[in-house]
Amino acid sequence: MIFVIKTIFNFGALVFAFGFITPLTMQIITRAGIDLPFSLTPLMAGLILAAVWGGIAQYRGRWI
Amino acid sequence: MTDTLQNTSEPDLMRREREIARRHIGKFPWLSVTWAFLNLAVWLSLWPLVLTGTLSVWIAFPIATLNVMLCYLPSHEAQHDIIARPGDRLRWLNELVGHVSTIPLVLPYRVARLTHLEHHKHTSDPDLDPDYGTHASGPLDAIWNSIQKRQPGAEGGPNAYAAALQRLGREDVMLEAVLSTLTFFVILFVLAWSGYAIEAALLWWLPRHIGQTYIVYYLSWAPHHPANETGRYRDTRAFHEMRDVLEARDCRLDGI
Repeated sequence: MIFVIKTIFNFGALVFAFGFITPLTMQIITRAGIDLPFSLTPLMAGLILAAVWGGIAQYRGRWI
Repeated sequence: MTDTLQNTSEPDLMRREREIARRHIGKFPWLSVTWAFLNLAVWLSLWPLVLTGTLSVWIAFPIATLNVMLCYLPSHEAQHDIIARPGDRLRWLNELVGHVSTIPLVLPYRVARLTHLEHHKHTSDPDLDPDYGTHASGPLDAIWNSIQKRQPGAEGGPNAYAAALQRLGREDVMLEAVLSTLTFFVILFVLAWSGYAIEAALLWWLPRHIGQTYIVYYLSWAPHHPANETGRYRDTRAFHEMRDVLEARDCRLDGI
């Protein structure tokens, strides 16, 4: 149990990115009616943003 | 008055200080208790109103932000047993206010209480004050520092609270903090993947960040700035009503 909790917190930035930033990005794009380039879907855009920003945050230890 | 007090003896200063304190002791803090429950009720009511489309999330967002900013003070009263002391008839109310008022802030009562009492015991001590990490050179630095302390790899902030709880041997309370944080994120993720990400962001996630910044700035940084002295009468800016007593003790009075 403790191991699972520690692992979640150790990868907290990535967990937050895919758990929250992905759906948030999707819904902002959809509600704002933004047309995405390269036939990207809102989900793909959310996943890309989460992977890039979350990955950087995970590596650097900060979002901003 | 001040000139007279400058030559007053220590026991007389202490007596005068107690007289001022006595004027504020023993009254039931109705405002804090009402504030705690009303504030929580307003914040909770925003959820069904927004999720059913009755209220715009853009109207609810500033209200939710205010709710988070205002939720700490009643908890603070409970942490100091101001509503009711142990053994009093209304002790349950003190504990209830403590437990429920900081739900929007995701700050468990026992974590808040233990770390806050440690803060009072060791105010401005770099090694022992759990809030020492909030000290900064100026207002903008205080805001930026508060944001930085909440980053995933930051030292201080929540980690300083964990260190304080470990020092106190209260791993059980640390676990409570961890579980409440996990619960908060699980709720956010479930809402977000259910199609309510914007609502979750504007009713809880962003208001919580703004609220934390406000609380750290006004209730932690400002009262102690520049936080370079320790000890009673030295570590905190204080009450207007105590001004003459404090002046006689050669206290720092800038900003009050």
